[in-house]
Amino acid sequence: MSALAEILFGGLFQGSLYAMMAVGLALVWTTIGVFNFSHGVFMMLGAYIAWQLVELGLPAAVAFPVAVVVMAGVGWILQASVVRPLIGRPNIVLVVVITTLAAGSLIENGALTIWGPRSKQIPALIAGNTTIGGVGVSLHQIAIIVITPLILAALWMFLNRTRLGLALRAVAQNEDASHLVGLNVTALYGLAFAIAASLAGLAGIFMGGYRFMSPVMGSDPLLKALIVVVFGGISSISGPIFAAYLIGFFEAACSYYFGLYWTPALLFGVLILTLMVRPEGIFASRSRGLA
Amino acid sequence: MTDTTSPMTLSHAEAATPIAPGRTPWKQEAIGFVLGFALLALLPLIFGDTYARHILIMAFIYAIVASNWDLSLGYGGVFNFGHLALFGIGVYAYSLLTKLAAFDPWIALFASGVIATLAAILVTIPILRLKGIYIILVTFGFAQLVMQVIISQSDITGGTQGLVRIPGLYVFDHNMVRDGKSAYFYIALALLVASTLFLRVFVRSRAGASIVALRDNEEYAISRGVSIVRQRMLTLAASAFFTGIAGAFYAAYQRNASIDVFGMSLATIILSMVLLGGTSTIYGAIIASFVLTIFAEWMADFGAWRPMITAVLIIGVMLAYPSGLVGMIKASWGAVAGRLKRPA
Repeated sequence: MSALAEILFGGLFQGSLYAMMAVGLALVWTTIGVFNFSHGVFMMLGAYIAWQLVELGLPAAVAFPVAVVVMAGVGWILQASVVRPLIGRPNIVLVVVITTLAAGSLIENGALTIWGPRSKQIPALIAGNTTIGGVGVSLHQIAIIVITPLILAALWMFLNRTRLGLALRAVAQNEDASHLVGLNVTALYGLAFAIAASLAGLAGIFMGGYRFMSPVMGSDPLLKALIVVVFGGISSISGPIFAAYLIGFFEAACSYYFGLYWTPALLFGVLILTLMVRPEGIFASRSRGLA
Repeated sequence: MTDTTSPMTLSHAEAATPIAPGRTPWKQEAIGFVLGFALLALLPLIFGDTYARHILIMAFIYAIVASNWDLSLGYGGVFNFGHLALFGIGVYAYSLLTKLAAFDPWIALFASGVIATLAAILVTIPILRLKGIYIILVTFGFAQLVMQVIISQSDITGGTQGLVRIPGLYVFDHNMVRDGKSAYFYIALALLVASTLFLRVFVRSRAGASIVALRDNEEYAISRGVSIVRQRMLTLAASAFFTGIAGAFYAAYQRNASIDVFGMSLATIILSMVLLGGTSTIYGAIIASFVLTIFAEWMADFGAWRPMITAVLIIGVMLAYPSGLVGMIKASWGAVAGRLKRPA
C-alpha cells in the first residue's frame, strides 16, 4: 500500500511541476512556431524574484503574485528582443534556438552575479507535514498538487472561453487569416510568451519552496518539459498536460523499482521508442492548434 | 536558407562568369584552402609560448566539431542536437580503448571515429520519420541517454568523476611534453585539414547536392529518386567520423575525460560557432571557432561577465546578420568591391 501511495503521490507532485513547465513550451510553439530554450531560466528567475521580494519584507501572499506578474513582463521583453525580430526568416527555428539559449545564458549569469551562487530557499506555500496512506508528505507539496490543476483549468478556460484566448488560438491555427481579420498578431505573440514565462516563474516559486534554489535550477525541469512535450505531442495544450502526469508517474515508479540512476535512461529509452511508433506524440492529433 | 548568393552580395567577377549558384570555382577554392592552412601552419613561429598554442589547439578541435555539425545541421537540414554526444562518444571510446583494452593510441583514435559513426547510424534510425522540432528533441534525448549510461556505468567510466591519466598520442621517440605543444599543434591542424577537405569534397559531390536538395524541397527531391533514408543516414554518419576523432584527440590531449562534454554549456558554445559562422559554409564554422575561442580567452579576466558579453554578442550578430560571419564578410566585401569598381 505504501509503495503505491508513494508512487501516486510522487507522480502527482512531479507531474504538476512538469505540466506547468510543458504548457508554456507548448503554448509558445503552437502560436509562434519556435522553441524557447530559455524557458528553464524563466523558472529560475521567477523563484529568485520571489525570494528577493520576500527578503525585502513583503509577505509571501503579495510577493509571489508580484513575481509572477514581473515574469510576464520578462517573457514579453525576451520575445520582443530575441524572437520577434527574427520572424519571417527562413531558418527561424534554428536561429531562435541559439538566441534563446544565449538569452538564457545571459539571464543565468546575470542571476549569478546579482544573487551569487549560494543556495537560497523561499517560504513554503503552507508550512508543515502530514501522513497520507503511510507516506510522509509536506503540506507545501499537497498545495502544489491541488493548485496546479486549478491553474491549468483556468488557462483552458482562458483559451476556450475568452475573446483574447480565442484570438490566441486563431493565431495558432492560421496566422495569415488572423492578420486578415484584424488581430494584432505581434501583441498575441507577446502574450503567449508572457503567459509561458509567468507559468514557468510560478513553477520556480513552487520548486523554491521545498528545494534549495540555484542559478542552474531550471535546466533539469526544462529537459523534463522537453520530454513531456515530445511525449504528449507539442501541438496542443491538453496533450502535454496528460503527458506531464504520465511521465511523473513513470518517473516515480522507475525510481522506486529501479533506482534514481536508471530513471533518466529508461525515460529517454521509452521516449525514443514512442517516437518511432508515433512520431507526433501519443496524445496529439496531426493538426496544429490549441485545445 | 538556400545556397544561392543574394544579388546584393554577388561580386562583379562572379556575375561575369556564370557558375552554379553559390559555388566558387574549385581552383579558386583550392588556392584559398592551401593558403589558409599554410598560414595556420606558420602560426607556431609567431606564437612561441605554450599557452597561445594551447588556445589554437582547442580552436582546431572546436573547428572540427563545429564544421562537421554544419554538415548535418546546415547542409542536411537535420536539426541534430546530439552532435556533441558523438564528440563525447569519441572521448570515451578513446579513453576506454587505450586505458582498459590497452590499444595503441593511434589505432584507438581511428577506432573512435568509427565508433562515433556507428553511433550516428544508430541515432538516425529513430529520426527517419521525424521532422524539425522532433528531431531536435530526440537527438537531444540521445545525448542525455549516452550521458546517463556513462554515469550509471561508473565502474568502467568513472561516472561523474570522469577518467584520468589517459594515454596520450606519440610520434616515434619525440618528447611530446617538452616541445612546447608543437607536435600536438600539428596533429590537431592535420586533423582539421583532413576533416575540412573531406567535408568540402563531400558537399561538392553528387551526394552533397542531393542532401541539399532534400533539405530545400523534400517532396521534389524524393520524386527525383533521392532516398531520404539513405541520404539522412549518410549525412549523419559522414558528420560523425571526424567528430569522433576530434573527441579522441581531445581525450589524448587533455589526458582526462569527463561527462562535461555532454553538458549544455559546451553544446551551446559549439552551436554558436556553427550559427555565428553561418550555416552551409563549412568555412564559416571554422572561422567562428577561431573567433569565439580566442575571444573567450581574451576575456578570461571578466569572470561572470564573459558569458554575458558573449551572449549579447551572439544575439547581436544573429539579429544583424542571420547568415552569420560569412554573410557579414560577404556583405562587407561586396560593399568594398562595389566602391572600388565604381568611380566615386
